Amino acid sequence: MSRLTASLSLLVLASVLAACERRTAPMHDTATDDFGDTVVVATAPVRIVSLNPTTTELLYAIGAGARLVGRTSYDRIPAAVSAVPDLGPGLRPNVEAVLAARPDLVILYASEDNRDAARRLRAARVPTVAYKVDRIADFARVTLALGRITGDTAAARVTVDTVGRTLAGTLVRTAALPHPRVFWFLWESPLLAVGGGSFLSEMLKVAGALNVYDSLPEPSPSITFEDLVRRDPDIVLASATTRARMLADPRWRTLRAVRERRVLVFDTTIVNGPSARVGASAVALATLLHPDAFAP
Amino acid sequence: MTNARWLLIVLALVTAIVAGVTAGTLPLTPSEVLHGLLGNAAPMHIAVVRELRLPRVLLAALVGAGLGAAGAALQGATRNVLAEPYLLGVSGGAAMGAVIAVALGARGPLVPLAGFAGALGAVALTLLVARAAGGRGDARIVLMAGVVVGAFANAAIMVALAGADASVVRGALWWMMGSAADASWMAVRGLALYVAVGIAILLVLARAIDVLALGEDTAAGMGVDVARVTLGVYVAGALLTAGTVAAAGLVGFVGLLVPHLVRMTGARTHRSIISGAALAGAALVVVADLMARVAHPPAELPLGAITALLGVPFFLAHLRRLT
Amino acid sequence: MIAFDAVTVRYPHREHAALENVSLEASRGQLTAVVGPNGSGKSTLVRALVGRVALDSGAIRIDNVSVVHTARRAMATRVAVVTQREEPAFPLAVRQYIALGRYPHVGLWRGYSPDDVAAVDAAIALTQTSSLAGRTITELSGGEWQRVRLARAIAQGGEAIVLDEPTTFLDVGHEMAVFELLSRLARDGRAVLLVSHQLNLVARFADRMILLHEGRVAAAGSPTEVMQGSILERVYDWPLVITRDPAIGAPTLVPLRARPRG
Repeated sequence: MSRLTASLSLLVLASVLAACERRTAPMHDTATDDFGDTVVVATAPVRIVSLNPTTTELLYAIGAGARLVGRTSYDRIPAAVSAVPDLGPGLRPNVEAVLAARPDLVILYASEDNRDAARRLRAARVPTVAYKVDRIADFARVTLALGRITGDTAAARVTVDTVGRTLAGTLVRTAALPHPRVFWFLWESPLLAVGGGSFLSEMLKVAGALNVYDSLPEPSPSITFEDLVRRDPDIVLASATTRARMLADPRWRTLRAVRERRVLVFDTTIVNGPSARVGASAVALATLLHPDAFAP
Repeated sequence: MTNARWLLIVLALVTAIVAGVTAGTLPLTPSEVLHGLLGNAAPMHIAVVRELRLPRVLLAALVGAGLGAAGAALQGATRNVLAEPYLLGVSGGAAMGAVIAVALGARGPLVPLAGFAGALGAVALTLLVARAAGGRGDARIVLMAGVVVGAFANAAIMVALAGADASVVRGALWWMMGSAADASWMAVRGLALYVAVGIAILLVLARAIDVLALGEDTAAGMGVDVARVTLGVYVAGALLTAGTVAAAGLVGFVGLLVPHLVRMTGARTHRSIISGAALAGAALVVVADLMARVAHPPAELPLGAITALLGVPFFLAHLRRLT
Repeated sequence: MIAFDAVTVRYPHREHAALENVSLEASRGQLTAVVGPNGSGKSTLVRALVGRVALDSGAIRIDNVSVVHTARRAMATRVAVVTQREEPAFPLAVRQYIALGRYPHVGLWRGYSPDDVAAVDAAIALTQTSSLAGRTITELSGGEWQRVRLARAIAQGGEAIVLDEPTTFLDVGHEMAVFELLSRLARDGRAVLLVSHQLNLVARFADRMILLHEGRVAAAGSPTEVMQGSILERVYDWPLVITRDPAIGAPTLVPLRARPRG
């Protein structure tokens, strides 16, 4: 809990500090990305390829969406992104297809799988940065970094600000409420849960709930059914189709939460990673979990 | 096989089942387990024992029985102690069916059904290819046809997974590594009937397999319809295996290893080898599933990984025996 | 009892027929031997008899009933076959193996009746393999294994016994023992049909000989009739002479050394 509070405080602090900066021309500077590489971004980029759904959303949020010339097949939000050319997968991307879009900035997901692509793009003299936006703290950090790189520092600051305030506000409102113990279902075979390493777990905290698998450090750990029964969650979160299946399945009904029909629908496919919508999503989650306290 | 050895195998199976139901992530004393089974315990205990552990242990036992019996019969009929139930392209076909289903978005019971269909399709294709090559009665041609079909299936799996989403790949891989985690009473009932019929057919053919094991020409001279008996063993074995694959994915090495162990205890006729292998296979898979559940909590290891580990000492021992 | 009637067998993708228009008969109470060089079709004869290869034309009859019209198991109760090679994959006990010979009688289901047990015991006695009965077939020597196989065929019962090269890898003593046994089986009333490449041995024991050459019958008759220098030299394509061995007067083939090229 303290770690999350620290992240949120940092968020607010970062925006305050950024506000105190002297206003200068848009910074074309060196950026140190999540691979630990330092990249020089000469001028504000006008042809951006973003190979990660979360960074794509962030770019639109800070007003740089119009400069996108490439995205992955999984980028769906906002709707306008469908007009941007689909360059394939975000992991081990097709470097040739990316180069064919003649970008002056490429944003990769900082996974080991993409080291090779980063190297090749830089060898082709295309400024490439790799970021991992997995936790709420990453959202603030990367949004501000992207803002500096694209020259949209003000918009980035506003975005981070707004989301930070929403999250902080929601946390305050839920602090005094009883926290239900929640199991967030991810996948059936193998049985996967949202673990402590996922920003969804952070969102649960903000929304005033306890993730029964918060103690596991992975974002989507594999668990056994029996272990789940042992942890005895109060509420299960799942998609609508999964909920229907669970309520009818005798195995799932060994869970008290399923027997009591406390299976709530919250579609995780909407929230791929902590984008600018993470604030609104946290509020939605809090409303779902505490309908009385958050009545509209 | 002597009565003492039968007793030993049956005892091993019973012990394994008891251990499987007693142990698990939720710590329960044997008395709590018993009460859970009988129905006079806390609802959570009853649920865990009756809905989670018992069907799972029984499913594992049935999978082991099917694979053990199929492996024993196939080793006898092909006169090859390295034969195993996933011959004839069964594993490739099953995996292909399941992977394609997962890639197309299927979830739940559709995936095992697709695996089952894939397994049967592969066997049918293998026999057709063998017939086209002119040698349905020749074991080597049929086995080779199985290799061809298996190779095709593997290629198809790779293509299906190449462009697929990470979750699809994970789901497909999980299925291919085998697991009894999805056990339900419905699955147990279905598989029980299936395995019973399959093993019964193999036991009926057992004596013919004894004769067939002497050599195809010799068996022909002793009145065995070599082509028909071999085909019967292949089909019954493949059906049994396809059923276990639908229930628990790919669980390797059981069908290969268990008949050897049974023969080592002195079983000579295929009637005892096949029945012994069914019982011993059941015990083995129940134990492997138990290990899968408790080795690395709260995560679950894939069943096929545990049984694959068993393959290592087996092949080492076989190697030593050859030299 | 066993009659081949103008039998022709062609293997696919081969130019010459494996057997062409072959007719021969193996009668009860007689030891009939089929001889000939490698590739003359001897083994194909046996495979055709057990139905492992199909006939192009002609028929094989057991007591005038075509084998095509006889159920396999029924035929196996009347004709026992010992194939050229047998390498079992599993270590059966010798007695168990011999008992398998009763399969045509007991089938998939029946337990072994006292008649079956008696047949097994008789076979063991006849082949003098009682000392081997407790051992495993995989640990037998070549000669022992051959005798045990013979015991299995005898246990199978029936009025005919067909053997393909029964004395390969056997030393003199075992060879003679096997042939003595076969001769006795013939005298006891069975039809013994054997395929062998050992002309001299066969000539001493056979009542009838059939010489095959490239799938056709080159000569047929008593050993004396068939063991003619001119015929054999042509068939085996090697200089040889036929003599009578001094000990018992059986016709003997003696191959000559190749003449050095001048």
